[in-house]
Amino acid sequence: MGPAEIDLRAITRGTVTAPAGCGKTQLIAQALAGHRSSKPILVLTHTNAGVAALRGRLDRAGVPTTAYRLSTIDGWAIRLISTFPGRSAHDPEILRLAVPARDYPAIRDAAWRLLQAGHVSEVLKSSYAHLIVDEYQDSSVPQHHIVYFLSLILPTCVLGDPMQAIFGFRGNALADWNQQVCTHFPVVVELTTPWRWRNAGAEVLGQWLLEARRQLAAGQSVDLRSGPPGHVTWMQAVPPNDHAQRLAAAKTVPPTADGRVLIIADSRNRAAQQNFASQTPGASTVEAVDLQDLMAFCTSFDVHSPDALGQILALAQSVMTNVGIAELNRRLESLSRGTARNPPTEAESRAMEFLRAPSLATAIALLSDLRALPNVRVHRPTIFYGVLKALRHSSTGTIPLVEAARRVREESRLLGRPLPKRAVGSTLLLKGLEAEVSVLLDTEGMSAQNLYVAMTRGSMKLVVCSASPIVG
Amino acid sequence: MARIRKIEIANFRGIQQLAWCPAPGINCLIGPGDSGKSTVLDSIDLCLGARRNVQFSDADFFGLDITTPISITLTLGDLDDSLRTLESFGAFLRGYHATTGAVEDEPSALAEVVLCLNLTVASDLEPSWTLVSDRAAQQGIVKTLAWKDRVALAPTRIGALADFNLGWQRGSVLNRISEERADASAALIKAARDARSSFGDQAEQQLGEALGIVTTTAQELGVHIGAKARALLDSHSVSFGGGTISLHSEGGIPLRSLGVGSTRVLVAGLQRKAASQASIVLSDELEYGLEPHRIARFLGSLGAKEAAPMQVFLTTHSPVALRELSGGQLFVLRRCANGHEARLVGADDGIQSTIRVYPEAFLAGSVIVCEGASEIGLLRGLDLYRLDQGSISLAALAVALVDCGGGDADRPYARAGAFQALGYRVMVVRDDDKKPTPAIEQAFVHNGGTVVAYRAGRALEDELFGSLTPAACQKLINFGYDLHGDLIHEHLRTVSNNTLTVQAVWDEIQTTGALSVAHRATLGQAARTRKAGWFKSISWMEDVARTIVAPDLHQCNQGFRALVDQVFEWAAHGPR
Repeated sequence: MGPAEIDLRAITRGTVTAPAGCGKTQLIAQALAGHRSSKPILVLTHTNAGVAALRGRLDRAGVPTTAYRLSTIDGWAIRLISTFPGRSAHDPEILRLAVPARDYPAIRDAAWRLLQAGHVSEVLKSSYAHLIVDEYQDSSVPQHHIVYFLSLILPTCVLGDPMQAIFGFRGNALADWNQQVCTHFPVVVELTTPWRWRNAGAEVLGQWLLEARRQLAAGQSVDLRSGPPGHVTWMQAVPPNDHAQRLAAAKTVPPTADGRVLIIADSRNRAAQQNFASQTPGASTVEAVDLQDLMAFCTSFDVHSPDALGQILALAQSVMTNVGIAELNRRLESLSRGTARNPPTEAESRAMEFLRAPSLATAIALLSDLRALPNVRVHRPTIFYGVLKALRHSSTGTIPLVEAARRVREESRLLGRPLPKRAVGSTLLLKGLEAEVSVLLDTEGMSAQNLYVAMTRGSMKLVVCSASPIVG
Repeated sequence: MARIRKIEIANFRGIQQLAWCPAPGINCLIGPGDSGKSTVLDSIDLCLGARRNVQFSDADFFGLDITTPISITLTLGDLDDSLRTLESFGAFLRGYHATTGAVEDEPSALAEVVLCLNLTVASDLEPSWTLVSDRAAQQGIVKTLAWKDRVALAPTRIGALADFNLGWQRGSVLNRISEERADASAALIKAARDARSSFGDQAEQQLGEALGIVTTTAQELGVHIGAKARALLDSHSVSFGGGTISLHSEGGIPLRSLGVGSTRVLVAGLQRKAASQASIVLSDELEYGLEPHRIARFLGSLGAKEAAPMQVFLTTHSPVALRELSGGQLFVLRRCANGHEARLVGADDGIQSTIRVYPEAFLAGSVIVCEGASEIGLLRGLDLYRLDQGSISLAALAVALVDCGGGDADRPYARAGAFQALGYRVMVVRDDDKKPTPAIEQAFVHNGGTVVAYRAGRALEDELFGSLTPAACQKLINFGYDLHGDLIHEHLRTVSNNTLTVQAVWDEIQTTGALSVAHRATLGQAARTRKAGWFKSISWMEDVARTIVAPDLHQCNQGFRALVDQVFEWAAHGPR
């Protein structure tokens, strides 16, 4: 069944199973574009990035914003309970989100209990014509409760793919797809047209991935050698040469001039991801939305501490390739002792200047000069430019650096991230992103879901490094 | 559409406090003059109406005290979906419990979703319309209704000048009965041009001299105006504002020249058609300009006989209007110790039939509940005699008489109690041959009621024959004879076991100039023979009272006279 034949608004309670790249977002856009009622359709998804991505798609499709209300499940839950604090009877503290790990679960529980009690049913019926929930496989149990009770009030259609459920970690139990989701939201249809690959002229790859999905879903392995030649490449990586082999894979040339490459490394090893980004020409990392390293630097950085220069240089080294910090330190030492034979370079002068008069402004100048050194390349641009931005905000003296960093983080969380042409990350970080080529550097320890998500990121080409051609 | 679930008024004109939960359909306010009925209608109009500027003055403040703000809050239910969305109105949506009239700050599964719209005017006289809820106030959220929502909610006022609604002006009901809009602009502009060109030549002939002078002067002064000046219709003077288009009859006569009554009936009918969009109608003095049959039509078109197709707020002083309404549509508005109260007349205790038969009673200040037709007739007759003598009539004293139609001795108290509960001053006039339950009568008296009962076991006929002078008693017998002929001889023979005749009574009075107590009792008994009472109809007793009883009062038994005096004394000292 093609997307045109499915109207999500006709589904009053059900699931649309949507394998990767099969036109799920298009389906949502079509439903909303065809919506003419005075009441909007409520569209919920899981992450702010998801909201930003979906809004972008809807804007491009020309869907009038009056046709829908788009939010994360958690964002909507916060709005709901804060509008009816008396009926919800939650502790007002939880809305401050001081301890997210404690507060979000409390918010979700308060929200589904409020929905269950029926106090707001009439209001919701007046507010929305329909409910559509995207990425439903990522729903945690309490989020599923929220949608469950909403579905007793509003006609509800959920879209998702159990084979793309990769968010079940750290006590975030996902709703069981078969036991919980499909019993309440019966599967209405499963999408079977690999639009992403068809549109890229590689439908054969798309069909092969659908077959691979069936095998992985059935608990079987996939033989990479069965892939369509020219679209699926298996590169054997075995010690002791495995690192060089993986680096070679990371350098895969995209089939088109402006094609993008997603490089998927070990999710548990951030250092390895950064390392590959550093060593692969033109590659940069995709960072987690919490921008941990930005926050860490801005929290601990103090221009007046004796180690302030050390902190700046350590940061520079962690986000740029070829900065040559060891050499720089040696030169600074001889310069300050007056034993240096060569005059200081521009960057060296900046560093000396910072030592004499440490300030945020000189720190910014130093970082900019280091960036301008020959052969230097920023491989973690989100962190580097984020730090610069925070330093600039704070250098006006109006807000502390930590606060400036927090604003940078929230801004980037809302705006989403521009995808570099060659991006290094993990399945978690790259989920929802699309490129022409997807490169899996290591399949070791990947679950069937992680494997499927990683394999489906590229619309024209898939490159996999592994010890064996049989994966999963 | 929306319905007003609750009206709360504070410090507005004559009303210091009022909290009233009106009915979803017709709400007809009755009550003594100056009790604030029109103020209630004005409150609704001012709070809910779509007006950009309303002038308030110090006189609009209760007791002219401008330090206490005017506050009018309307709780609105039956809201359109667009007025109760989470995104736009979330923080202001509240819950209303119809059974208790309570408004809770947040919606609940057991309550209706409502909005509270408040109009506040403080000493600066600047009105401010806002939605209110406790939680929004706590969080400092302020919200007003959008103009389009206010236009949609605005009530239609069918006032004395209802002809406003007979053109397509802004706010006219005509704009609500359909979405069509006439676009006259193009046609009017063309007409204006045509008028301009066809008038041009005429003007030149009529104003030739002046034009000639202008032309010459301009040429002398070198002001270039061409060969000659022309007189044309000024295009700006041929313009048409809003409301250019209005309703006309087939003959082309504007409908606004219809009589007041026709206009009002028509507008009410149109409003009824527009009820799906705007459901609240206000009409002060609904009977204004209407004949009795048109009052019925007017109320009918407002949905008086249907299941609340729209919410209507009325005031009336017309018994004809009352007769067309049910107790569930009538509210008595009264000033009480702590503010105003609007009490539902309701349909209990046979009050509905009282509305039908004695609508005047609800418009009076004091009510005399009479046990039966005899008492009604007696009081009417006495009243007419007093009127002839130059006294003020009961009607002018705002006293109404209500007939209970006899029957059970407790019945008058049920009816009297209903009036009492509505705040009326009530008297019961009853006979004493069948006594009411003492506790019931005591409760009535305890609540401020007054009882006038005939003395020891007597019915009215016993009192009359027992109290009036012998001459008057003769007149009573003659009156009975004229009505019933020989039947009254029979009655007398029967009750006296053939021991007393009319002739014997005549002889007794003739010879002794008096009438014995025993004979008086026998006459009384005969006169109230079951199902054949000599004076048992309102008009018979009215005649008896007017022509026989009243003229005899000054010389008859003082105990009976005292009873009659008590009734008229009470009547003279009521609220007007």
